Amino acid sequence: MTATRRRQAAWVALLAALVLGAAALPVLLTGRQPDGRPLDPAGTSLDGGAALARLLEAHGVRVVRAKTPDAAVSAAGPFTLLLVTEASFLDRGAAGRLAAAFGDRLVVGSVPYLDVLAPGVRKDGPAHTRSRAPECALREAVRAGSAYTGGTSYVGPPGSTGCYPAGDGHTLVRYTAGGHTVTVLGDASFMTNLRLAEDGNAALALNLAGARPTLVWLTEPDDPVQAAGGADGEARSLGELIPDGVKWAVFQLALAVAVVALWRGRRLGPVVVERLPVAVRASETVEGRGRLYRSRRARDRAALALRAAAADRLAPRLGLPRTATAQEVAVAAAARTGRDPAPVVTLLCGPPPGDDAALVALAAHLDTLERQVRDS
Amino acid sequence: MALTGRAGLLAALAAIVVLLAPEPGLVVLAAALVLFALVAADLLLAGDVRGLRFQRDGDRRVRLGQSAAVGLVVENPGRRRVRGVLRDAWQPSAGAAVRQQALDVPPRERRRLVTTLTPVRRGDRRAVAVTVRAAGPLGLAARQRTFHVPWTVRVLPPFLSRRHLPSRLARLRELDGLHPAMVRGQGTEFDSLREYVVGDDVRSIDWRASARSNDVVVRTWRPERDRRVLIVLDTGRTSAGRVGVAPVPGSGPSGWPRLDWSMDAALLLAALAARAGDRVDFLAYDRAVRAQVAGAPRTELLSSLVNAMAPIEAELVEADAAGMVAAVLSRARRRCLVVLLTDLNAAAMREGLLPVLPSLSSRHMVVVASVADPRVADMAAGRGTPEAVYDAAAAERLRGERREITAVLRRHGVEVVDALPEEVAPALADAYLALKAAGRL
Repeated sequence: MTATRRRQAAWVALLAALVLGAAALPVLLTGRQPDGRPLDPAGTSLDGGAALARLLEAHGVRVVRAKTPDAAVSAAGPFTLLLVTEASFLDRGAAGRLAAAFGDRLVVGSVPYLDVLAPGVRKDGPAHTRSRAPECALREAVRAGSAYTGGTSYVGPPGSTGCYPAGDGHTLVRYTAGGHTVTVLGDASFMTNLRLAEDGNAALALNLAGARPTLVWLTEPDDPVQAAGGADGEARSLGELIPDGVKWAVFQLALAVAVVALWRGRRLGPVVVERLPVAVRASETVEGRGRLYRSRRARDRAALALRAAAADRLAPRLGLPRTATAQEVAVAAAARTGRDPAPVVTLLCGPPPGDDAALVALAAHLDTLERQVRDS
Repeated sequence: MALTGRAGLLAALAAIVVLLAPEPGLVVLAAALVLFALVAADLLLAGDVRGLRFQRDGDRRVRLGQSAAVGLVVENPGRRRVRGVLRDAWQPSAGAAVRQQALDVPPRERRRLVTTLTPVRRGDRRAVAVTVRAAGPLGLAARQRTFHVPWTVRVLPPFLSRRHLPSRLARLRELDGLHPAMVRGQGTEFDSLREYVVGDDVRSIDWRASARSNDVVVRTWRPERDRRVLIVLDTGRTSAGRVGVAPVPGSGPSGWPRLDWSMDAALLLAALAARAGDRVDFLAYDRAVRAQVAGAPRTELLSSLVNAMAPIEAELVEADAAGMVAAVLSRARRRCLVVLLTDLNAAAMREGLLPVLPSLSSRHMVVVASVADPRVADMAAGRGTPEAVYDAAAAERLRGERREITAVLRRHGVEVVDALPEEVAPALADAYLALKAAGRL
């Protein structure tokens, strides 16, 4: 193998690896099973919420799984608790409708539009997620004891209750406004399948989420983009979701393609033209005539040509002049080979063959006769 | 002006910057401006191609199947180095070995580039253009210019049948005076007197000369010399058909035109006849005289013949037999051997040559040489299936027509040579030797 070949093989291997990688990457990125949804009542993975949902059902709480904000709003009633997690997909309009819905709200994790969902609560700062003591008078927290909280610490509006303090704020803030009891937690890890069994997590989760007979659990939608688009008038197209940098980069790539086109499009000198001679085989007329015989089944003409050629070749061998008739040639050939004259005469000047098989046989018999005359 | 791949690569790399930059729109604009500025600078600093001077040297003639080297001297009178690529564009059938070559000429110097041509076809092959693309120091852009530097390489017929020449010359010497028992007869002329040796024919004793000398003296004879041979090449449509297998690689799968095989035969005959002391003229004709060689000195005969033959192509018109005969008659006033290289096409012959043949054959010895198609012979041997037998019948019909027209020509006193492509040249040479031995020239 030459060096060039080896280099070519290396390039091919590199290209193949790139193609495979490009094909595998999206599969790896999007290959999440339905069971693997985070903070979902059906999610059985480590960050799912199936364990909590099972516990709640065991305590007689109906868990309604809502995939879109609209479904959650229609499922909400006076005796429901709406659970919004960081896995929920919201835009500002949807958050407003959720805030206006019936019932209490439990907002867990870094949920967007917190100012709509929990007006008055503001972020204090990040907080390390760890086991914390309640240090408050909230019954649910006190009975649960220490739990795994953190994420963000909040400062509630006046009259609110704060638990599990971190820094100047609290990682759990509860207040009542407009007839709703709103509870905000900085981190959702305490209610995942992974953490539920630790510390007082399960008790805290049950106490908070099981406060009402029905829990409406807003989960991650199947198709976030579609959910956003179909949610309200503030729908954003795919183009609006793409960052500006990507669009300009595509434009720049188009410019690069144009430059490459200019590079490849400039020929090194003119196209050279040349008058070429015809390339026709001299045998084409003969082949054409053969095909014509075949398509017309011209056995009479074909047999005539074959017989005339055989007679022409036989005449000099038999010592006859070129002008000798086929009859004379046949008689002389029969005499030379010692065959019965009648079939030889029929062979050389009989009627045309009845079908193609007879024509093939005639050609073979003529060959045999020529060979016999030659060998005699 | 021309851009290079580097400019494209640079533009593509800029896309990555654009993707990561905070102000992508501005970066696109900036990248375009930078690229434009770099290209402009590169163009300004590239070597000056406009002032380049060219000169050619090298082969002017080459036999088909061999390679010719044509040199191209590039002189750079400018102050900047010219570095880039050069394309010496030839016609495609000239078979230039490389499409483009690297060029690097320092200021006020010259460089010689060599283009190797391996033509695949007979005829004149022309250099069409010389294009120089001189890149700038950054290699982003290049100046380009095309020049016309004429040169023609004449591709001569390969004369492959010259391998048959030694054996035919030996036969010729046998005929010649070296043969001691050469007797007087038709086609011989008086050569010299010499002393009788045992074995000489007693009929050749010259009694009158013997009386004057003390010995018995015999006359010796030699074949006639200074006969005229006129080779007529039919360049009409029947010569365009391709037969056999092309002996030169690259000529295509469909074989060689009948015309080229005929030329090969004509060259062998001319070489032989020139050695035999005959005078050879040449005429190529279809509806007008395409080429002719008349009265060439013996030593230069072959070179002027191949030179005259090289550019001839078969014209796709029916040959004008009457005009051809008239042209032959006007050129051959004395009796001579007219060798007509054409195809034994029955229909064309009956309409064209046969009506005017008597006026030619009555005054001259005529030989008609034709290239047979091996494919027809293959088809005629086809047996077994109806398709093969129908083809065989069609082939036999053609061969029958050829036999018939051959018989008609022989009745007119015309010699006919009908042989396969590789055998037509030696067959024609043999026919000539036979005619010479029989003194029928």
